[in-house]
Amino acid sequence: MTIKNVIFLGLIFLGVVIAMVPENTTKPYKLTAEQMLVEVQGAAEMVSTDEVAQWIISKDPSLQLIDVRNPDEFQKYHLEGAVNIPLSVILNDEYRDILDQGVKMNVLYSNGTLNSHQAWMILRQLGFRNNYVLQGGLNYWFDTIMNPQAPSIYSPDEEFAKYDFRKAASGALGGGGSAVVTAPAQGTAEKPKIVRTQKKKAPAGGC
Amino acid sequence: MGPLVPQEIIGMNWNLLIAFVVGIGFGFVLEQAGFSSSRKLAGMFYGYDTVVLKVFFTGAITAMLGLLFFSLFGWIDLSLVYVNPTFLGSTIVGGIIMGAGFILGGFCPGTSVCAAAIGKIDAMVFIGGIFLGVFFFAESYPMIEDFYMSGSLGSLKVHEVFGISGGFFTLLVIIAALIMFKLGELAEKRWPREEY
Amino acid sequence: MKTKYMNPYLAGVLLGLVLLMAFFFSGRGLGASGAVKSVVVTAVDIVAPEHTANSHFYSKYVGEGKEPMKAWLVFEMMGVLVGGFLSGALSGRLNWKIEHFPGITAKRRLIFAAAGGILFGFGSQLGRGCTSGSALTGMAVLSVAGFISMMAIFGTAFALAYFLRKNWI
Repeated sequence: MTIKNVIFLGLIFLGVVIAMVPENTTKPYKLTAEQMLVEVQGAAEMVSTDEVAQWIISKDPSLQLIDVRNPDEFQKYHLEGAVNIPLSVILNDEYRDILDQGVKMNVLYSNGTLNSHQAWMILRQLGFRNNYVLQGGLNYWFDTIMNPQAPSIYSPDEEFAKYDFRKAASGALGGGGSAVVTAPAQGTAEKPKIVRTQKKKAPAGGC
Repeated sequence: MGPLVPQEIIGMNWNLLIAFVVGIGFGFVLEQAGFSSSRKLAGMFYGYDTVVLKVFFTGAITAMLGLLFFSLFGWIDLSLVYVNPTFLGSTIVGGIIMGAGFILGGFCPGTSVCAAAIGKIDAMVFIGGIFLGVFFFAESYPMIEDFYMSGSLGSLKVHEVFGISGGFFTLLVIIAALIMFKLGELAEKRWPREEY
Repeated sequence: MKTKYMNPYLAGVLLGLVLLMAFFFSGRGLGASGAVKSVVVTAVDIVAPEHTANSHFYSKYVGEGKEPMKAWLVFEMMGVLVGGFLSGALSGRLNWKIEHFPGITAKRRLIFAAAGGILFGFGSQLGRGCTSGSALTGMAVLSVAGFISMMAIFGTAFALAYFLRKNWI
């Protein structure tokens, strides 16, 4: 057989095979089960309601809140500046630029933490970074920020400091508290470091 | 796992070295195939030598199959591979101008560099022309910017337009290519040229 | 002297593998005219930096933190020069010459080569890539732009072939 015939037969064979197999449309997971277990146990993906309240008040430009509940719930109430990416459509390509980036800190939230955590797990396994989960979800947000409870008089000082901050934050964010926002009580909340990633697309192809 | 550089499996610093190595392979293959001769390239349009058709389509098909199989085996993430965006108007008009340049000059940019590397003076003149052409484009850009940006369809893929799988479309391209190869060989017999 | 070229189909498979290698390592395909653009942009920037800063076109490539000469395509094209030279040396095809159809003069060949180059340079920028960058690479990733470029380039060349036949046959 000549080289030509070998190549022709090879191309036809491979062409028939590739035409018959289903396309690989699965999104490859970048983290192994072991890596994922370490991350989950570390719980480093959690950010507290106090931290988030402070970032919202200070209008931190690197904060991006992401509401993973369904659009109805989002319409009824959502945190200031949040975008709605329901869990069911989180893999749509149109959201990829928001979820897979290296300049902002995404904070996912749902009513509790179940859906936001599910979303976070998927995103993390796809290798996306800079995604976090609001600790306790919206429910805890209401308990702590919108309607803070005064600590008992025997509590340590930090508890009172925290309460003062929450009350102030609540006022600023339209909750039941009052008073102007004073400087946050416990110093500046430590912000998780944003992992700066290169834009993953090849910058410019072609000629 | 792939593509390696965009996924940061190997560092960005290696990218330019990879480019250089890929370029060596590219130049070597083009020259070995005879793309360093404008008369061989132009033979495509007069039927006496259809090497352009054969190399070009075999190359494109091989890469298509390679990408699809790599994706199938999970070796490459196609969403990270650059897909050139389609801007209908400028792609068509640009292609027409390039086609005219091809038949006038007998080269395309890649082959002209390859031909210049082995001492073809006509190729060097052609490259000089490319520089001028790019410069003219850059200077006239303000006038044609609107047209340049019109008809944007994004990074659209052909099989998505037809609603078939990429693999099936590739098979159709392979069949079409084999028919064209046959026609090319018939043309070479019909309009033979001995020495060029 | 009859030069011996590689079997075109084998060359095609090798070309496809080189292209695949570019995709696998760098996530992008081959190109050529982009390297010329880098050189032109750099040259204009040296001669007239104010002009480049004000131009919509040049300012995309020059300015703070942008290094047009450290582009992938520039290094790739340097590789093409080396690869082409190595191949020519191996096959004994290194010699200075103006290759043209015996029926025309060398001068005519050079004039047409320059004209073709100008058109190709202009068209490659308008069409966002030349034969290798847009057509070949685009087809490999099944992009619409790739197939349209290919058909426009080859279609036009075929359509005009008759009028320019005196140059070639």
